[in-house]
Amino acid sequence: MIESLTILAGALPYLLKGSVVTIGVVFGAMSLGLLFGIALAVGQVYGAIWLKRLIGLYVWFFRGVPLLVLLFLFYFGLFSLLNINLTAFTVAVIVLGLISAAYQSQIFRGAIVSLPDGQLKAARALGMSDATAIVLIILPQALRLAIPAWSNEYSIVLKDSAVAYALGVTEIMARAHFVASRTYQHLPLYFTAGVIFLILTYAGTKALRLLEERVHIPGYSQ
Amino acid sequence: MSTEMIPVLSAERITKRYGKKTVVRTASISVNKGDLKVIIGPSGAGKSTLLQCINYLVTPDEGRILLEGREIDPSRKKDLYRLRQDVGMIFQDFNLFDHLTAHDNVRIALRRVKGIDKTDASERAVRELERVGLLDHMHKYPAQLSGGQKQRVSIARALAMDPKIMLLDEPTSALDPELITEVLAVIGDLRANGMTMIMSTHQISFASEMADEFIFMEAGIIVETGSPAKILSQAECERTREFCAKINEIYGTSY
Amino acid sequence: MEEMLFIRTEVVPALARGIIVSIQLIIPSSALGLLVGMAVGAARVYGNRSLTFAANCYVAIFRGFPLVVQLFIWYFGLPYIGIYMTPYVAAVLGFSLCSGAYHSEYIRGAFLSIKQGQLMAAKALGFSHVGMLIHVIFPQAFRRALPGCGNEIVYLIKYSSLAYMITCIELTGEGKIIASETFKYIEIFLIIGAVYLFLTTIASWFLRRLENRLSIPGFKPFSV
Repeated sequence: MIESLTILAGALPYLLKGSVVTIGVVFGAMSLGLLFGIALAVGQVYGAIWLKRLIGLYVWFFRGVPLLVLLFLFYFGLFSLLNINLTAFTVAVIVLGLISAAYQSQIFRGAIVSLPDGQLKAARALGMSDATAIVLIILPQALRLAIPAWSNEYSIVLKDSAVAYALGVTEIMARAHFVASRTYQHLPLYFTAGVIFLILTYAGTKALRLLEERVHIPGYSQ
Repeated sequence: MSTEMIPVLSAERITKRYGKKTVVRTASISVNKGDLKVIIGPSGAGKSTLLQCINYLVTPDEGRILLEGREIDPSRKKDLYRLRQDVGMIFQDFNLFDHLTAHDNVRIALRRVKGIDKTDASERAVRELERVGLLDHMHKYPAQLSGGQKQRVSIARALAMDPKIMLLDEPTSALDPELITEVLAVIGDLRANGMTMIMSTHQISFASEMADEFIFMEAGIIVETGSPAKILSQAECERTREFCAKINEIYGTSY
Repeated sequence: MEEMLFIRTEVVPALARGIIVSIQLIIPSSALGLLVGMAVGAARVYGNRSLTFAANCYVAIFRGFPLVVQLFIWYFGLPYIGIYMTPYVAAVLGFSLCSGAYHSEYIRGAFLSIKQGQLMAAKALGFSHVGMLIHVIFPQAFRRALPGCGNEIVYLIKYSSLAYMITCIELTGEGKIIASETFKYIEIFLIIGAVYLFLTTIASWFLRRLENRLSIPGFKPFSV
């Protein structure tokens, strides 16, 4: 027992350094997913029919294939075929980001569609172009509505980021396993890793709830 | 002669408390066969709670319920379920089963509580829906019916069980004004056919034409009972007079 | 020519083997997961205080820990306290307990969404507690929980690939082995991706059909 605690205490800084890597992966993936997801959502709501179909295909693919398979496909397959040399970290960010974009696009699409028709009409009546109306009128409302679902997506991406361990990204899980295989303290180490993830989930969703309150508009719900 | 003297249902000295608040205090009601008794009184008077105590949807703290002279022991499940089958209940907000069509709403208790076989239950359900004028709507779900239609289905559902008495808890309060008449017509029809009923309502003019007796309730207490004419025009109690005056003002009755 | 032979004698059998293992992971895990979810969901709604608390803790941990961490705990961690499992058993256990926690969220919400009036009406008609459960509560709760739980099963199909990480060699694992031998990563993983895509698409399609068949006007599914 004492021995376990000593080992855990010794390993903790090392694990916490892993959480910096995890946060990096998640931050990168969520940002990529956000930008790309918004573009996909706008395309899927306002785009031409062929564009809608294409985006539908994208979403179907990235929501239907497991993360691990995509990681292998991109890391060992696609990028080496194209002769692009990327670190495991970068590939994890890209793959998690592409998947998250597919999910986020559906969140934003739902939010955009739920806005009343009159918003776009009123913007057009003021002489705004559709692009301007989307940026100034539609997205500010839709993004607010999307925060709760987005916070859920954050906790999913955070947990999924542990799979990046399969490529050798030195995030929390990889480090826990590394220490465990040397000290044979598997159970306490994995449990600690799990708790770190729990804390990160809690901190992130809490921060997003604060953001939601910050940007809340009176009388605006659901 | 002697059997006629036994009330269909009597509630004796019913008391119900929620925490420190006494919602119903030693209220007694007794109903003879074919009677229509109407409970009136302001919101929060305990009308709903009293009605729900009668079939033990709310368990009273004191008092007893007798159905045809036989005391109900609510701790015996069989007694309880039997009582509830014999007492039809109409709720203010209908409470149709949302996952069932009108036809299935009427049929389900026949099949699953009374154990009647499918064909008979279906036929019975159709008859009851016809009686309330909803044969054309029998395959619709609650969400596809208007409030008045929902309440008529719920009346058909209660009638199908062959109740000895019906309790109607403000059956028209949740309805838009234009839908009230169709439900009142059905209730009038029941009355004409001799159904025994206790009803709480704010429809004073309708009730005064139909009722054998008015029961005025306030703050959990039955203040006064008497014929509609007496309660509305020559009530003994000051509070009853005040309430009736206000009601007349709002609903503009002929009294 | 040699390549074709290789594909026929090596690749196809390996992937077929992998698919069978994957399905052997997915079906029991989703069934067990649903059972766990129902038990935990019911405990959270109808249980006494300590049971509800225990169930809530379970859900917080099993939804909060990444699935990889959970799998590692079952397979690499439990031997620490003297419990040994085969990779397959550890994977099924991990999947069931994790998806059970998610299922319980939907099931809990579905139970809670049943209006008090529905129960009152059932009681007023003389239904017993069991009768009310069977004829009113379950049919309504089932419809409300179905979309969420169904999605959870679709997720499980994809997450079953993580069994590879605790050396349970299913479809992804077989693919990885062959790909490493042949260096045909793109081809192999595209094929594997297609298989998963096929499975998830079929499952979602079937789920939507079931939802449509059971759909009732005015009945909104519960969503978290």
